[in-house]
Amino acid sequence: MLRPLFLQTFLLTFLLTCLPPLAHAESREAVEGEFSHEECIACHQTTEPQLVADWQQSVHAASEPVALCTSCHGRDHQRAAARSRHNDSCVDCHGGGTSPVVHSYATSKHGIIMQLEQKEYDWNQPLREANYRAPGCAYCHLHNGNHLTAKAEPLKPAEADMDRITTSCLDCHAISYISRLNANAASMIEIARMKVREARQLVGEYANEHQAQADAELTGFMQQTKKHLRNVYLGAFHQSPDYQWWHGQPALDGDLLRIKGFIGNRQQNTDDADKTGTKPVR
Amino acid sequence: MRLAYIWITLLILSILIPAGFWYVDWSKSGDGAGLYSRDWLPEAVFGYWNPDDFYQSVDAVVGEFEGEECVACHRDMSPGIVKDWQASRHAQAESKVYCSACHGSDHQNLHLPTPDVCATCHVTQHEQFVDEKRYGFPSHALAMERALDAKHFVDKPKAEVTACLQCHSVATKCDSCHSRHKFSAAEARRPEACITCHSGPPHPDDETYFNSAHGQLYLQQGQDWDWSKPLQKGNYPAPTCAYCHMTKGKHQVADKSIWKFGIKQINPLSSGNVVKRQQWIELCSDCHEAEWSAQKLSAMDRERKQAWSKLDEAEALLKGLRSDDLLSPSIHQRPPYPGDDAHTLLQRERIGFFEGQASAFYNVSPIERDYFDMWYFSNLGAYKGSAHGDASFVNKGHKAMDQQLEAIRQKVTVIRATGKTEADKTDPNKTELENIWLKGEYTEYNREHN
Repeated sequence: MLRPLFLQTFLLTFLLTCLPPLAHAESREAVEGEFSHEECIACHQTTEPQLVADWQQSVHAASEPVALCTSCHGRDHQRAAARSRHNDSCVDCHGGGTSPVVHSYATSKHGIIMQLEQKEYDWNQPLREANYRAPGCAYCHLHNGNHLTAKAEPLKPAEADMDRITTSCLDCHAISYISRLNANAASMIEIARMKVREARQLVGEYANEHQAQADAELTGFMQQTKKHLRNVYLGAFHQSPDYQWWHGQPALDGDLLRIKGFIGNRQQNTDDADKTGTKPVR
Repeated sequence: MRLAYIWITLLILSILIPAGFWYVDWSKSGDGAGLYSRDWLPEAVFGYWNPDDFYQSVDAVVGEFEGEECVACHRDMSPGIVKDWQASRHAQAESKVYCSACHGSDHQNLHLPTPDVCATCHVTQHEQFVDEKRYGFPSHALAMERALDAKHFVDKPKAEVTACLQCHSVATKCDSCHSRHKFSAAEARRPEACITCHSGPPHPDDETYFNSAHGQLYLQQGQDWDWSKPLQKGNYPAPTCAYCHMTKGKHQVADKSIWKFGIKQINPLSSGNVVKRQQWIELCSDCHEAEWSAQKLSAMDRERKQAWSKLDEAEALLKGLRSDDLLSPSIHQRPPYPGDDAHTLLQRERIGFFEGQASAFYNVSPIERDYFDMWYFSNLGAYKGSAHGDASFVNKGHKAMDQQLEAIRQKVTVIRATGKTEADKTDPNKTELENIWLKGEYTEYNREHN
């Protein structure tokens, strides 16, 4: 199973290192001045049509508000690329430092190395060939300047997204390691999904049997399962053991057993009520 | 006649003792690892965290390679590790430490370096690290055993508990703190080096330290400190994790540990702990008055005592419900505990540290889980706040414990008021309850896949 992947990596690495650098990158510093989003698009549509097309297909172009060129790059052309490569350009829109998506990365080894070393990095380097000792958000999600960031919904990464991100891992890690990690992540997330499906099944059956209106407490537990499932996912791909585990799997266990406890209690109470003719007790 | 008793006893012992050793060896010789190795199968990825037991070298490249040969190829294949290595002391030493020194040279039989490999050169650090084992759990050096021998690790599907090994591999690889392939001492001195594992609900070491006066000073000025200096008096304006827990760079974090993980109550004034308190006071005296440090330790004693009085009350309430057979689902209506057979004799609900509740946080009744959350998350958060000097976390933890205790009290009152009668126990809805607790996609998968 590893051999074809190995070849694939080799080819990718070969292509990435041997292709001539984009002429655009060299001329960047020649262009001085401040530009608006529309001006960026107008010019880059001719110099880099693929880049603009990628951005248009990405979640950034579809979000509300739209993440414009200037949202990440600023207006100053000479500082545009370096500025956007910093994690700071991503964090604010992605929920701030304490949001799970940011925090799961920030506590990973990648995140802490970045935190410690970012002042030493040369941010004018392109996002490839391990030009940065630790990857920031953009290194993986916009690897080699590819502007087609996630276009799928967060819990169902498209195969293409995964392949692209995996390419960035291979700048530092062996394909054998990454493919085993990815396989493990897929199983780990599937197990978390099993817990959510078990919970959803129970809640569904309960609602059917009792023609119960959506109960606030049960709905609350179900919302928690979504949050905790997402934590497992973020933990697996951002390499945060803490999100895989404490914010993820055992938290899902807790949700599931509380749902079971709630339904078990209700059923017992309803049955008691049927026997004695009294109203159910909460 | 009396002599016969002695002979018989000796004879039995001479059979039982070797049999015991044989049994332990046998139970460790399965496809997994640790005491329960026969009960589980590893995931392929486990080899990266526990290389001695599970690492399998890939066979994609054939041949023997040394020194610059590895570098020449990997410069293109995986530039990151080559750049890292080039920036490391390994590459700058007079006689370079090349890839093959740690990984071997046969590309089809490569290995991942364990602390034993690093010990080839880093003798002192390794000795200190291994010495930690004599202080027992918790310790870095024993962390892998701790994970593998935990019953919930054995019981749960292996892809689910992958997370455990990522931190517990601090016992089996030095790059948990000195990230590969730069292996920088300066990096490991920074508090961030610890927080990938020392974070999250049961051990918020990161938050409590960063919130403390020490941590605030670090966050404001740390970027400008000279991290190449050893961790000793005068070199740093404020202490970091390693400054206190690995004083003077000693690779040993367990020797001063009093409350340890914080999940069981101890006597902080036992003769052994009095010695450890003195060691803390000496360490703090790098900056603080001895009296002031002693008072801080006493304040922590009071905080811990208060925490345990709350935990003890909750535990007693739960044990009371158990005595009256009021826990629902009961032990027979829920899946067996990790490591137990469904038909083990004399089963009972496990409550508290000494009964192994630390491995029983799933498939338990909600009120037991409520206690687990109070004990494992709120209590340990307060403990870490107390130990690291973060009053906000102490308050938050105690407030949470108060609320959780009150909720448990109220639930117990309701359960006792509506409690099961003898008739309930033979009730048809008993099967309904078993259907909820024993069936379901994950619950069944978990039973069948370890």
